[in-house]
This record gives sequence, structure tokens and C-alpha cells, in this order.
Amino acid sequence: MGIPLLSLITFLPLAGAVVLIFFPKEERRRMLILAMAFALAVFVLAVLCAVRFDGREAGPQFVEQSSWLGYGISYHLGVDGLSLFLVVMTAFLVPLVLLASQASIRDRFKEYLLFMLILETGMIGVFLSLNLFLFYVFWEAALIPMYFLIGIFGGRRRIYATTKFVLVTMAGSLLMLVGIFVLQGAFAKAAGTYSLNIFDLYRLTLSPQTQAVLFLAFGLAFAIKVPLFPFHTWLPDAHVEAPTGASVLLAAVLLKMGAYGFIRFAFPLFPDAVSRFGPVLGVLAIIGIVYGGGMALIQKDVKSLVAYSSVSHMGLIILAAAAWNTISLQGALLQMINHGLSTGMLFFGVGALYERTHTRMIADFGGVARKMPVFAGLFLIAVLSSLGLPGLNGFAGEILCFAGIFSGHPVWAVLAVTTVILAAAYLLGMFQKVFHGPVVQERVAGLRDVRPIELAVFLPIVLLMFWIGLFPGTFLRKTEATAARYAALLESRRTSYVEARRPTGQAPASIAGSATERKSR
Amino acid sequence: MTGFASLLPLSLLVLGAISVLLLATSRKPASSAVPGLVALAFLAAAGVSAGRLWGRRAQAFGGQLRWDDASLFLTFLFLAAAALTVLLGIRFVAYHRMPHGEFFGLLLLAACGLVIMTATSHLLVAFLGLEVFSVSGYALAGLKRGDDLSAEASIKYFLTGAFASAFFIFGLALIFGGVQTLDAARLSEALAGPGANPALFLAGLVLAVGGLAFKIALVPFHMYQPDVYEGSPTPVAAFFAVAPKAAGFAVLLRILLPYAQAGLKKEALFGGLAAVAIATMILGNFAALRQTNLKRLLAYSSIAHAGYMLVAVVSADPAGLLFYLTQYLFTGLGAFAAIIALGGPGRETLELDDFSGLGRRSPWLAGILSVLLISLAGFPPTSGFLAKFYVFSAAVRAGHVGLALVGVATSLVSVYFYLRVVMVMFMREPGRDTEADADNPAVHLVLFLCLYAVLQLGLFPGNIVTLIHRAVASM
Repeated sequence: MGIPLLSLITFLPLAGAVVLIFFPKEERRRMLILAMAFALAVFVLAVLCAVRFDGREAGPQFVEQSSWLGYGISYHLGVDGLSLFLVVMTAFLVPLVLLASQASIRDRFKEYLLFMLILETGMIGVFLSLNLFLFYVFWEAALIPMYFLIGIFGGRRRIYATTKFVLVTMAGSLLMLVGIFVLQGAFAKAAGTYSLNIFDLYRLTLSPQTQAVLFLAFGLAFAIKVPLFPFHTWLPDAHVEAPTGASVLLAAVLLKMGAYGFIRFAFPLFPDAVSRFGPVLGVLAIIGIVYGGGMALIQKDVKSLVAYSSVSHMGLIILAAAAWNTISLQGALLQMINHGLSTGMLFFGVGALYERTHTRMIADFGGVARKMPVFAGLFLIAVLSSLGLPGLNGFAGEILCFAGIFSGHPVWAVLAVTTVILAAAYLLGMFQKVFHGPVVQERVAGLRDVRPIELAVFLPIVLLMFWIGLFPGTFLRKTEATAARYAALLESRRTSYVEARRPTGQAPASIAGSATERKSR
Repeated sequence: MTGFASLLPLSLLVLGAISVLLLATSRKPASSAVPGLVALAFLAAAGVSAGRLWGRRAQAFGGQLRWDDASLFLTFLFLAAAALTVLLGIRFVAYHRMPHGEFFGLLLLAACGLVIMTATSHLLVAFLGLEVFSVSGYALAGLKRGDDLSAEASIKYFLTGAFASAFFIFGLALIFGGVQTLDAARLSEALAGPGANPALFLAGLVLAVGGLAFKIALVPFHMYQPDVYEGSPTPVAAFFAVAPKAAGFAVLLRILLPYAQAGLKKEALFGGLAAVAIATMILGNFAALRQTNLKRLLAYSSIAHAGYMLVAVVSADPAGLLFYLTQYLFTGLGAFAAIIALGGPGRETLELDDFSGLGRRSPWLAGILSVLLISLAGFPPTSGFLAKFYVFSAAVRAGHVGLALVGVATSLVSVYFYLRVVMVMFMREPGRDTEADADNPAVHLVLFLCLYAVLQLGLFPGNIVTLIHRAVASM
């Protein structure tokens, strides 16, 4: 096919942003229509890509590759089961975010749309890049628009929150950058040529020490982004201060970049280190599950409650990734989408409440359901999806995660179930206090139910929640081959290292290049 | 005839300087645009005449002046820097009642000195170029005659510069005593020959490198720089921030590269340079954290960037160094251009608070300055990131993982103070009513050129990289 589909999906939002620059800032409506048009076009293309994606094929599809800067840096895009639905979800959420923000962003709307579109390019690029350099470029480039979105449109402590967000994330990524250099050098030494192509790097076998150091460098960058337990402190600040739209994308997409990084890079690149640090990662993930849930229980602010619930839910996803078998990977991939949808919707809901009342404190509400019955119903669906009610999307993902984790680490699985129990406690507790009971507060008495635009934002998400919940096969079919391939990849790389070590003694780095592996790319 | 052609770039610069000076005496100082345009024309002519020498390895004065492609590439950088500075200066000179003949004339002479520095492998000729640049530079720094800070800058620059020159020339004397030659290309060969005195040579080398370190402003020879930048007329500061560094590094590279390529990296000299690089990166970035005056902030930032460039020298990566210098020319100079764009007749806005809310009042200016600052901080997809990527990956490949780690750690520090400026512009409410000077088209042209260069070099640097590789191959 002649059309560079993936490049279009990646750079169309940026093109929209460039066009937007030349609009006068008074024309809110036309700017919104323009931005929406671009975002929807991206969504249509992403869906097209998903429909034409062949789920039986494990390798990347729609691949585009051309040389770019030398030293192994090439422009290399491709989509496979790991990235397909993350891209679709991103493309799905951005138009909704744009639509929802037209009421809440009163001032500097043009800049808001501009940064949102740039952010979309960054986010999609992260998932589609198959070259480590390109991945890093998008990874960092996505930071800048988010920095502005929180810093310009955020709450009272926005500058503190956004600076912390950027610096903490940067700290991790810069170590990863040095890790990329080391990897690049090691590959050049072993293969004689430069390559940062991820599938080439999968064939590189490094000494255990190098693997350990590199795994820590990459892992830190991803752990901060996820965020894994001791590195999560930036998240509540950023979430609470961010405007609704930025919160939605932060939770739904940016956190997934961390989990995606683990699955795509940190685990398969450093198989030996995984067997060493895997248990540590598992323990951290479980601590995150319990700690995030516990913190969510005691939050007074609905938004920070949802933020901490993300810490808990992301812990489960990392745990499933760390268990690393086909089922758990499938679960992790599906759960990433589920978490994006449910948490995204919860943030939309909190935003809708905040817009009406200018407060997010649980204590300031009560009896909202009487005044906003439709809204309460939709919000309840998001809550139930988030805590994994059968029939909704959360259940399908969680059951796969637990099954996958259990087959390898029964104890982990038992401990991880607390995520469901805690989620039920804090989410239902919050729902009860906010939506039920008598209407005491004056601000609640004057509430009006959902507007049509809000309905247009909520309904597609709810629809998708039911779809994934009732027919998860639609989605799992597309990711299965890739998940199986990655699950096998780690196993084969572990054994190949043992073999490589035996005859030559301590080779610092070598290339495990079987013909079948070459063919599969 | 080749002799004449190879002298043409330098002759044109000197001729341009003289014409501009004569023009200033004959005309009433009504407009500074005419001498500015004349200077630009001569710079362009010099560029064309230099371009005709590309790939021909022309020589003059019995090989004392040597145009390999590397020196030509750097010559283009100096000419571009001078041309951009001329554009920055056209209005600035009038606004601040500076003598425009001297400004443009001295600028051309300074560029001429820098060209001489790089277009030779003979160290004494390099010294000659250094002095031509320095003497013009001292005068340029003090060109705002009524201004105390400018006078202070000039004196400081002169005193420290005189020291540096003394270091350098004394170093050359010792080197000559040690190996009986001052041809940089033959130093290592002569050192291995009979009758060489390695100790004397090494002492001389350290002194000469110290002298260059003054010009480049490496720690611990950086102290004068923030004061000089603050006091100098802003276009001059912009020129100082980019051009002399490039020349200093070129000479440094010519002296040191043979050793690095001969595998003598373990020598104490390289250990010392690595230490200097680390100190420069750390000090430059941390000192910048506390600055509230934008000119001083950029001064410390330029010190820090010199540290990153030194990493390229220590890693023996001339291509990375040239790319870094090229992109820094536009980012560094562009950032100063943004300050100038905010000024007006007789006034300049330099305090960080003046920038608050600028994103609303002058979105284009604030936007471009943000891109430049983001490039200085090293975010992709700007050229600053790619430059750091090349340099640090070369450092890792050369086995200097520690240097790369310090480099990225200090980059993180720099993110804070660069983004603080962005934050003030976009996230603070408007405090003062500074606005972009709409009556200064030349500065806006410079800003757009720099923006373009930063993105072009960050995304599609292919052609420039090819040129750089050819230049390096010819060294």
C-alpha cells in the first residue's frame, strides 16, 4: 500500500496544531471544529488500522522504515499487538477530551488545543516507534505539551506540580538515554554495525552485569512513568492540579507509556536481569497495589482518590507483565485499555462535578444522584468498570491478569486480589458519600444533569466498556499472536544466553541470530 | 593565483571593515542600516569566496594559512554568526547611540581574527588570529560608551584576556623549546623524535590549553564571562557566546586530536580535561540556577554548554563537536536575539520578571524563545537534543560513561532553569508591559532563522552532517 498510514496517524495531529497556530484566538468555535476534525481523522485512521490489522501475525504490521541520522537511528514505525489498542485508545480519547474541554477551558483555548494536538503526536509516536532513538524522541517530546497543559491550565499549585512532573520524569528518562548509548555501543561491538532497531536489539546478548545496570536504567524511567510504588509521588500532585483533559490523558495514556516500556523494552531486552529483578518488581507492584488502594481510602478529594486508585491499578498491570506469560501479557494489555477507559471516564466525571460546583471534596457533596440521575448512572458504570464487575471491561482484564499471574506466582496472585477488594471499598464508599444520602449542601441543590456535550463524551466510553466486557474476544484476538511471541521471546532469550555462555566463557556481548527470528521481522 | 583566491575571504573581511569605518566618517550618522547592509554584503562575499575553496585544500604564505574543509566549515559558522550579529545590531546600535562604524567594523575584524585562528595549523598564526579577535573584542565590549557596566565589561575582558594571551604565548614558547616546532600537525611526530623534551612540551601544552580555556570560558577560567556578557552590548554578547568558543575549540582540537587518535587518551592531560569538563558542566548549570538576569543566565548557560563541547573533545569526536558548535550558534545566538527583540530605544529588559506573561502579549516571540530554551535544555526534537545525543553517545563509546552521566545529570539541572523562563512567560500573570519591539524586523528575521535552524538541525540535519563528516575527514 502506498499510503503511510502510521505516519499519518502520528503526524496528523501535529499538522493540525500547525494549522491552528494561524487562527485568531477569538474564534473558539472554529478552532474547536478544526482540532476535532484532525483528532477524529486520526481516530478513523486508527480504527481502519485496527480493522485491517491481522491478529494472526505476531510481527509488526504497516511497517515504515527509512534511514535518518546514522548511528543506527532510523525512522521506523510499525504496529503490533502490544501497541495497536493503545494507539486506538489514544486516538479515541483525544477527541473526547477536546470536546469536553470547550466548556471548562475559558481562557487561552487556542493554546490548550495546540498542546493537546502536539501531545497526541507524542503519545502515538511512543507506541508506534520501533527504533529506540525515535521512541526516546517521542517519549521526551510528549513531556513538553503536558508541562504546558498542567502549568497553564492547572489549579493553584500548578507550577509546583508541573515542574515536579517534568523534573522527576526527566530524571528517569535521562538515565535511560545513557542506557541507550550503552546498548548502542554494545550492539556495534557485537554486530559490527549500528542499529537501534528494537528487533535487532532483541538478538543482542549482554553480560549479566551489563544487563542488570541497563535494566535498572530503563526500569527507573518506566517505573517513574507508571508509576511504581516509591516513584509515584509526582502523580497525585500532577493529577490534582491538572485540568480535566490533561488528567484524563495523563492517567489513560501517559501512565501506559511506562507499562508499555516495560513490556516492549525493559523485559525482552534484558532477560537475565528480569529473572534477577523480577521478584523485586513484583514486590514493588504489590506494595503499590496495597499502598495506592489504602491511600485512596483516606482521600478527601475525589480527584486524588482516583489518582491513587491509578497507582493501585497500575500495580496490577506491572505485576501481570512481570509474571510474563501469554495469558498475563494479554491481561496486562487489555487491562491497560480498561484502566484508560474507566479512569479516564472517572476523571471526566470529576471534572463535570468540579465545573458545576468548583469543589472536589467528598464532604462537599451528598445526594448528587437526586439532582443528576443520568450522570450518577453513568458515573456508576465507570466505578463498576474500575472495580471489575463482571460484564464490564474491568472484569475481563483483571481475570486474565489474575489467571496469568497465578499460573506462575500463586502468592502474588493472592496478594494482588486486594486491588479488587480495596477498589470496591474506596470507590463504592466515595460513590455512596457523593451521590447518595440527603441533599444537604446548597451547591448540590442547584445542580443540573448532564448536558448533551457531556453525554457525547460519556456514552462512547460506556459503550466501549460494555463491548470489551461482553465480547473481549474482539480485542484479544488481535493481540494474542504478539503476546505469545513476546512470552516466548523472553524464554528463548534466557536459554540462548545460557548456551551462548557455555562455549565461549564470558563473552561481553554477542548476537543470538537464528534464521527464524530474522525472518519474523 | 590560488594564493590570491585563498586570501580572498580574509581580504574581503578586512576590506569590509575598512569600508564600513570610512562610510561612518563620511556620512551623517542618520541610519545604521547602510553600514549594516554593507557589512552584510562583505560577509556574504567572504562566504562565497570561502565556498569556492571547499575541497581544494588551498594554502597561502607557504602553508602558514591552510584551508582544509574543517577550517572552511568553521569559517562559515563565524561568518553566519557575524551576519546574524549584524542583523541584531542594526537597530540596537541606533537605540543605544553606539558608534555604528566601529560596531560593524570591529565585528568584521573580530570575525577575521577567528577565521585566522582556525585556518592554520601553525600555533603562532593561531595566536595572531586570537589577538586580532581579542583586541577587537575588548573594544566591542566597551562600545556602549556612556554605560558603566559596558566599561567594566571591557576592562575585565581586557585584563583577563591579556592574561590568557600571555598564558598562550608562554605556552607556545615552552612548546617550541620542547619540540622545536609550532606546527600542530607535526607536534606528536616531533615529540617522538630525538632532542625532544617531553616535560617542557607538556608544561607548554598545559599553558596553551589554559589560554584557550580562557577564551572558551571553561572552569576555572570562566569568572569574567557573566560580567562581560552582562555589560557588553547584547548583540556583542551574543557573538561572544558562540563564535570565540568555536574558534577556541577548533585550535584545541587541532592540538589535541593527534594524541587522542594515537590512543594516548590515558595521559594525564586528558584526565585533566575530563575533570575540567565535569567542573564546567556542574558549575555552569548550578550557577545558572540562581540567576534572575537573563543575560547572566545565558552567560552561565554558555559556560555549561562549553563543558558539553569539551566532552566531545575528550571523547575524540570532532564530528560531534562541530555539530554541537553549529547548532549552538543558532540556539545561543537566538536566545540573545529574543532579549534584543524585547528592548527598545535606550532600554533593555533583562530581568526575569519582565518576561512574566509574555506568552500572552507576544506569543510568537515567547514561543520562539521557548523552543530555543527547550533546545538549550536538550529536549527532542530540537537540535540541542541531537547534539547532546551525538556527544554523549560518543563519550559512552569511548568509555567515558561517567562523563555522560554527569552530562545528563547536569542537563536535568538545566531543565529547571530553562523551563523556569518558559514558566514565567506562559504560566505567570502579566506583570509588566514589556512587549516585542515591532519596529525591529531584522531581529525578527534572526529569530525565525534560528527557529528554523533549530528544527532543521534537530529533525533533518542530513546535509549538515554530511558536510561535517567531510570537514572532519580533511583535518
